[in-house]
Amino acid sequence: MNNAALLPIAPEVILLAGALIVILLLVLLERPYREGGIVALAALAAAAIASVLQWQALEDGADNLYFSAQGVPVPRLPMVVMDHYSAFAGVVIFIVAMLGLAVAWRLVLTLGARGAEFLTLVLLAVAGLHMMTASANMIMLFIGLETASIALYVLAGFTRERANADEAAVKYFLLGSLASVIFVYGAALLFAATGSTAFYGAGSMRQFLAENIVAEPAILLLAMGLVIVGMSFKVTAAPFHQWAPDVYQGAPSGIVGLMAAGVKIAGFAALGRILFSALPSQIDDWAPALAIIAGVSMIIGTVLAAVQDDVKRILAYSGVAHAGYILMAFLAGSDGIGSMWFYVTTYALTVIAVFAVVAVVSGSRSGSSPLADWSGLSSRAPVLAWAMLIMLLALAGIPFTTGFVAKIGVFTAATDAGYLWLMILALMTTIVGLYVYFRLAAVMFLEDPAGVEDVVVPPTTALVLTVAAVTTVLLGLLPWPLLDLAREALPL
Amino acid sequence: MLPTLILLPLIGAVAVALVPRHRSELLFPLGLAVSIPPLVAALWVAANFTVGDPSFQFVTDHTFSESLGVGWRLGIDGISLWLVVLTALLFPLALAASTAITDRTKSYLVAMLILETGLLGVFLALDLLLFFAFFEIVLVPMYLLIGIWGSENRRYASLKFVLFTGAGSVFLLGGIIVLALFTGDLVDQLSSFDIRMMLDVELSSTAQLWLFLAFGIAFAIKVPIVPFHTWLPDAHTEAPTAASVILAGVLLKMGGYGFLRFNMTLFPEATVDLARVLAVLGVIAIVYGAVVAIVQPDIKRLVAYSSVSHMGFVILGLFALTSQGLTGGVFVMISHGLVTGALFLLVGMLYDRRHTRLIDDYGGIATVMPIYAGFFLYMAFASIGLPGLSGFVGELAVLVGSYLTLPVLAIIAASGVILAAVYMLWGYERVFTGPITNSANESLHDLGLREIAIIVPLILIVLAIGIYPRPILDRIQPSVDLILERIEATTSYEVPEYGSTIDEGAG
Repeated sequence: MNNAALLPIAPEVILLAGALIVILLLVLLERPYREGGIVALAALAAAAIASVLQWQALEDGADNLYFSAQGVPVPRLPMVVMDHYSAFAGVVIFIVAMLGLAVAWRLVLTLGARGAEFLTLVLLAVAGLHMMTASANMIMLFIGLETASIALYVLAGFTRERANADEAAVKYFLLGSLASVIFVYGAALLFAATGSTAFYGAGSMRQFLAENIVAEPAILLLAMGLVIVGMSFKVTAAPFHQWAPDVYQGAPSGIVGLMAAGVKIAGFAALGRILFSALPSQIDDWAPALAIIAGVSMIIGTVLAAVQDDVKRILAYSGVAHAGYILMAFLAGSDGIGSMWFYVTTYALTVIAVFAVVAVVSGSRSGSSPLADWSGLSSRAPVLAWAMLIMLLALAGIPFTTGFVAKIGVFTAATDAGYLWLMILALMTTIVGLYVYFRLAAVMFLEDPAGVEDVVVPPTTALVLTVAAVTTVLLGLLPWPLLDLAREALPL
Repeated sequence: MLPTLILLPLIGAVAVALVPRHRSELLFPLGLAVSIPPLVAALWVAANFTVGDPSFQFVTDHTFSESLGVGWRLGIDGISLWLVVLTALLFPLALAASTAITDRTKSYLVAMLILETGLLGVFLALDLLLFFAFFEIVLVPMYLLIGIWGSENRRYASLKFVLFTGAGSVFLLGGIIVLALFTGDLVDQLSSFDIRMMLDVELSSTAQLWLFLAFGIAFAIKVPIVPFHTWLPDAHTEAPTAASVILAGVLLKMGGYGFLRFNMTLFPEATVDLARVLAVLGVIAIVYGAVVAIVQPDIKRLVAYSSVSHMGFVILGLFALTSQGLTGGVFVMISHGLVTGALFLLVGMLYDRRHTRLIDDYGGIATVMPIYAGFFLYMAFASIGLPGLSGFVGELAVLVGSYLTLPVLAIIAASGVILAAVYMLWGYERVFTGPITNSANESLHDLGLREIAIIVPLILIVLAIGIYPRPILDRIQPSVDLILERIEATTSYEVPEYGSTIDEGAG
């Protein structure tokens, strides 16, 4: 194998090497967290560069698009694919992970020697997340999913001295495992229906479905349903979202942003990988199911977000609603991929920033973040409050933020695909969303900061917030560069 | 020129935001100073506007995305011209009247200037998505203005404002997306948001009806048309003076402007079908707003309900579907912006002194504040529609125009003028005339030089366009006639002929 053949898995290799170095530092140094953090950030940056190089290679017409145990250039059973889709996912996931790690920095410092474990787990999780998006095979996708999930279960309970963190971790583990089982059952049935686990190449699922008419589609339909349900768990689409509010509330605030944003990006990208690469011919079967899940998610997400009194729970339910909006992009088939990418990317950035603010306001180790913590934030920490306001406006879909552009994209995609009813439903829930986000804004800006102490913004968080706020407004004003890239980021 | 006009307040906002904390005494002078260039630019546009040309002038057309059909498309015509000038005029006055704001001054000024950018954008955008973006962004600074700097019940009023007007605009957004997809089919793109291109789309009458309703509900809430008006009294009453001025003076016009620019232009068939319904709603607003205004115990609420009544004239004028009605409707918007803006400024000046808006707390204050009383009476007469002042011209045109097609409604609407005399003069009587009943009012001091300087320009303009409205009307009429021509061309409706222009004999 030559070097070029390793390019498809270069990001994963870099991240695993980084994870090993961090563990080694634990042996070599007494207090390795600072060095470990630098290594972890460097690994993520290198992985992001590797993804950019992948994109560059594809633009130059690279021909080694697959990685497989069986050699190059086009193996019979490809395992990992390098296309614009995976390269784009890589850049987004790794940059978001770097920002997430910067937010978690204060948490890492307080963890002492366990900080190194923490960093290792983050790197493993990120490697798994990217593997989900770059897999060319159901089995590989499942391995990526499990790598990421297991690392994240541990991270959710990392502040184990707090009982509700344990509870969150256990709940996340149990429900997440159930989702994995459902997913793997779906994958097995897909194999039963099509005779393959591969997305590409001779004898793949896609080829089988394109060339054959499935006489008895029951197994295929069941298989697709199970796969969609399994992924819906991961991206917190209703009615498979129940774990999210409790887990978000229990897990340390410093890491929730990375958990939420990372899993959303990878979950949607993986779902897109399966649906667009392996099952594009079955769009008439899976699109209506996704439309219903999207509609339910919007309703449940916004309505329940409106009645929560804890900011982390509000954000969890808002995440459910946004999962619904993102699913709208899928209904347009491959025409919607650009909208999906734009939404997922900008939403992930917003989520990282929002949880960064939560970690400052309520403490990065703590779990809950009651609304009372937030009263009069604009007097106590004006810059923090304004940054949060920009994020809330983006979540509400107000113009001149990325949230508006993203919403227009998915609404247009769904309407063009003939799902007018879903767009109208989405518009209705947007109204409730206005209440959700402006209520929080009112707490920050209109209430007196009675009896709440001042907050200190760590420099790393300030950096992340600046990046996020500037990007949110700039891409809200001029989204075209990112939109053009997103529209090119298609799977093979 | 138009991009500059939109960006000037934004640049001003950035300049204000950069004032260092220890130089906060510079904030107000700077905020006021940066609101002047947009006014100069707007007047320059008005001076260079070609009279008699009904189409868009000073057009900027820069496409951002070919396949989505989104672009930075700006232009101005007779309908938007005076609304732009009005916006640019009211902001310096409102800012000059904001010296009572001492809490978080910088944020206040930035919010005001961003609000100005948004409002100018609304009137200048020729791209529906751009229009919607400006239309919606206005919510945010207005929410903050009401919520942070408003009076006691501000939290409730600000959230209600956001939810009501936000709820309306999501329907608008839905309509825009559907219409843009239709337009995109025309030019083989996914979508197109260029409103000039949208004129070529042939819509079925069902599609027109639904789109008219989707657009219409957003604008009806903004105008506001009864029964969508309930946010308005709360928002106006709780808002700080400057925000009330902008709300009444400019924000409500976004609704009337939207009806004219989008509903009547893009959906002519539905317009003809629904004209009567809307005209009836307009008349209901005229009478209802006036009757409710009579019994208000709060001066600001009285003026707020008078807005509902006056905006009813706008709706009646537009949906009379006559040249006079449309021209009059636009003129009422301008006049109402000036007069009600002035009234809110005056009420704010009184509130700054006594911190109460209740009519019962006053009485006989003309003896201690004669200049103030004179100004107030003048604006009250302008609001009623006294011949020679601006209110008369527009309302007369609306009544004449609507009499041609909807005589019964016109006659009922005329009662609104009488009711206006009742609520305005009775309100004036209780606040200003007679002996001073409340001893707290004895020490009130009359208007200072700054306050006089704020009101006098409005007094002069109200008088000038009341006596000689021709320059205004000459620019409005060709553009509204274009809309009527399109309605005539695409439907069986025929505009009744009655003279060609409104005579300036109004004075």
